[in-house]
Amino acid sequence: MRFNEKELVFLSRQPSERAAELGMRGPKKGDVVKRRLVKLIVNFLFYFRTDEDEPIGALLLEQCRVEREDDHVFSIVFLDEAERKYLFECDSQEQCVEWIDAIIKASYEFMRKNLIYYRTEIHRLTGKDPLEQYGISEETRFQVNSLPPLPSPPT
Amino acid sequence: MKLNERSVAHYATCNSPPDKTGFLFKKGERNTAYHRRWFILKGNMLFYFEERESREPIGVIVLEGCTVELCESESEEFAFAVKFDCVKARVYKMAAESQAAMESWVKALSRASFDYMRLVVKELERQLEEVQGERLLQAKNKAKKHLSQVQGAEAGLRTAAPSLQNAAITGPLQEGLSSRENGVSWSKNSGVANGVSEGCAWEGDCSARAEGVRPPPVPPRRKTNGGSLESPVSPGTGCFSKLHDWYGKEVAELRIEWLQSK
Repeated sequence: MRFNEKELVFLSRQPSERAAELGMRGPKKGDVVKRRLVKLIVNFLFYFRTDEDEPIGALLLEQCRVEREDDHVFSIVFLDEAERKYLFECDSQEQCVEWIDAIIKASYEFMRKNLIYYRTEIHRLTGKDPLEQYGISEETRFQVNSLPPLPSPPT
Repeated sequence: MKLNERSVAHYATCNSPPDKTGFLFKKGERNTAYHRRWFILKGNMLFYFEERESREPIGVIVLEGCTVELCESESEEFAFAVKFDCVKARVYKMAAESQAAMESWVKALSRASFDYMRLVVKELERQLEEVQGERLLQAKNKAKKHLSQVQGAEAGLRTAAPSLQNAAITGPLQEGLSSRENGVSWSKNSGVANGVSEGCAWEGDCSARAEGVRPPPVPPRRKTNGGSLESPVSPGTGCFSKLHDWYGKEVAELRIEWLQSK
């Protein structure tokens, strides 16, 4: 599958939400833990060799699950291949907890849920739709129920 | 650079609702002809497929750090371009099949970035805090007013009032406190899927919630230190409608007592 790699590499150089050197282990059997610079930017997790500018790779953090494996280890699995785990070793419990929290909040889908909640609550409390002023109240991505309505039952 | 391509492709076709879909003509990279492709926009990812029925996308354009502009094209009407900030970036030239489709796509793509979404969410979060703060203040003033009426009545009720006021501070907040830690409740070996927000600490309390939607965890900056309790007047307190109902109930009960005592 093609992707705009140059632009993604450019993105990896932008200010990150969170960055640290962690021990990272890939999902394949036989992969070992390697020290990597891990950077969280929007909904991507970039990982670099500690002395290099160009990232080795990127993980899109959508449709994934973050789990605590140990005191200071967390894992990321993608829902389409849940047996493959990416492992990350942190320097402390605190760091581990912070990373898990940050990654959970880093998905677009997570933000969408927040937005829908805030929108609904504000509307409930004030009777006004807060998105109207932005002219985006009709967009699919902001609907409470973005799924198309079920077909009506046969008569 | 590596990418978790299989999972990214899965995101395109999984059952989470897309933000926009439709046919667009896309100018090829090497072959400069325009090809008709089926596009799916999800979040900040614009996927394109050979056919509408194709199971796997041919490619994806990550929409961060880009602008969308209308452009002139000799061969295509309704043309627009997605341009990136970086040096030597590729310009993705596309064309819609109508004026309306073009405008709709340009609008959707220019608002597709994670950053934009984050801004909107932050703004709504701020607005909600404002609204909740106002309501709490109103409820508190109302409660104060009723309480002062009660205090003006029988002596027996006068002693009850201040202790009720203290109870108002400790009661609902203790429930809210445990749910605030990290905003995500997890235990060892249990996972929190961010595609499916399970394990979120607010479990079915507020009644008027949109179907299937859980409230977001409280942002870290509002974490309390060492279990100290926030004042009920400050925003971000646990579940607002519960707190509000609680105040309302206390006031109603006091009022009944006072009326009966007359």
